[in-house]
Amino acid sequence: MNRTLSILVRRLGSLLATLVVMSFVIFMLVEIMPGDVAQMILGQSATEESVAALREARGLDDPVLQRYGRWIKGVVVGDLGESIYMQGVAINSILWRRVGHSLILALTAFIMFVPLSIFFGVLAGVKEKKPTDSIVSFLGLATMALPEFVSGVFLITIFAVQLNWFPIVSVIPIGESLWNNLNILILPALSITFVMFGYVSRMQRSSMIMVMNSDYIRAAILKGMPRKYVIFRHALKNALLPTITIIGMNMGWLFGGLVVVETLFGYPGMGSLLMTAIKTRDVPLIEACVLLITVIYSLSTMITDIMYSYLNPRIRFQGGQR
Amino acid sequence: MKYILYQLKNHPLAIVGIAIIVFWLIMAFFGPSMISFTYTAMDSEHQMAAPGENGHLLGTDSLGRDLLARIIFGSRSILTVALLTSIFSTFVGVVLGFSAGYFGGKADSVFLRAMDILMAIPPLVLSMVILGILGDSNIASLTIIVSIAFVPATARVSRGVLLTEKSQEYVSAARIRGESHLYIMFVEILPNTTGPIIVEATARFAYSIMMVASLGFLGVGMQPPTPDWGMMVIENKPIISQAPWAVLFPALAIASLVIAISIFSDFVSKVLIHER
Repeated sequence: MNRTLSILVRRLGSLLATLVVMSFVIFMLVEIMPGDVAQMILGQSATEESVAALREARGLDDPVLQRYGRWIKGVVVGDLGESIYMQGVAINSILWRRVGHSLILALTAFIMFVPLSIFFGVLAGVKEKKPTDSIVSFLGLATMALPEFVSGVFLITIFAVQLNWFPIVSVIPIGESLWNNLNILILPALSITFVMFGYVSRMQRSSMIMVMNSDYIRAAILKGMPRKYVIFRHALKNALLPTITIIGMNMGWLFGGLVVVETLFGYPGMGSLLMTAIKTRDVPLIEACVLLITVIYSLSTMITDIMYSYLNPRIRFQGGQR
Repeated sequence: MKYILYQLKNHPLAIVGIAIIVFWLIMAFFGPSMISFTYTAMDSEHQMAAPGENGHLLGTDSLGRDLLARIIFGSRSILTVALLTSIFSTFVGVVLGFSAGYFGGKADSVFLRAMDILMAIPPLVLSMVILGILGDSNIASLTIIVSIAFVPATARVSRGVLLTEKSQEYVSAARIRGESHLYIMFVEILPNTTGPIIVEATARFAYSIMMVASLGFLGVGMQPPTPDWGMMVIENKPIISQAPWAVLFPALAIASLVIAISIFSDFVSKVLIHER
């Protein structure tokens, strides 16, 4: 447990350092973006004086570092600023609901693809080089390669246009909450599941094959233990470790995928919010979204690492290479 | 060569993959001269025409533009960007990863730190934000930005490969001979690591196609009037119930290309890793 704790502390420290650098880079990037913020708020018809006055009032003419400091100070106390495009609405009042929606979507996808891909990965691994294996492996290769919006479009054509089981777009009607519209989650979550299924099932398959060929499994089988018991109690336990890492490593794709899937389905999550922010050049909103995605993403990688070290006694006790 | 042919015989799927890639390459080179429509011409009398109607082999979109022409022209930009990106990101990755791994110490930890920071943001989100901010994407900006997003991965792989070779005797021999660092890295070590690096580069090619298609879909890829496969999907999505082909054909184009490349890269990694 000590080892895990020290990893936790070290990782939190590096996360903080990463965030500071990252936030500075984001701020600088948005700085070089063409276009004047004050002009954008007031519109094209604004007079020169009113634009100058607004620049003055918002402190837009201050040096870059000073503005960065002000922004960071706000972020630390939880004030993300105001959206420009949405007429000065506080970002806090839009962002968090959207984040909630995205997390629910990600969680739904997670619940779908983790058991599914582990099951098929184990199946393919146990039946190595048999038809079952070839089919699962090819499916994995194919689904892994498809961008989320391509599989999403196929899903829409089949399940929304032809069969009419699910809606074509995943919007939440005004005045209703997500909980009354849970069916809008299925197709977007399935699109994410497709991509993840490939990565995870292939990893699970190869680690299963490796474990099944190891001496202790052969010993257990020769000892006459039931095959099911050997597979689930002995082999799976060890074969799951690399899978956990690969799931964690793919969280990045999952978050990128969320932006794509949310845009395709019009789902009101954080990804589509970021997309709107970029299209409308809403500087504070872009900064807030990217910062938040960085935090969530880094946290999830960190949790994967900790879980990995916790589950793998070799790392936990001896301090392995990581 | 004989060995590759022998391997191809054992992997019939790889032949299919290579055939599809060659098909798209031919389309990108010669396709435009084989079709009778241009990608911007709007056939105002045949909007959302079904495939085959009035000479539009794959039908038209909501503006009456020929889908076949748009798909064929679209193959040029996506193939160019993806190819350049995989070469560029592998090259930069090898230079960075090799230098960091070879010199070790401070340089290495600075390198690892920098890559950690770059990796703290998902590659798609990173490129989408930068391209969105810069606006007006073209082949050059797409290639550079997507390469930057990929460099952490390629550099880490190269570094890992170098570390396994670094302790070999031929490296110390070269050192004792008094060869320069550059010579040792790129003349002595590099030829021994081509296998994993080629595998990484072909895998990058598949990722690049996915990424470029997704960026186009998000509207930060090639800008209109240049047709882009990803953009065709999102711009025609509103008419998916009336004219599903306008969405399905570009989606199928992406799917066929990207699956073919994955099969190919899977084959390459099997052959090259087997070889070693």
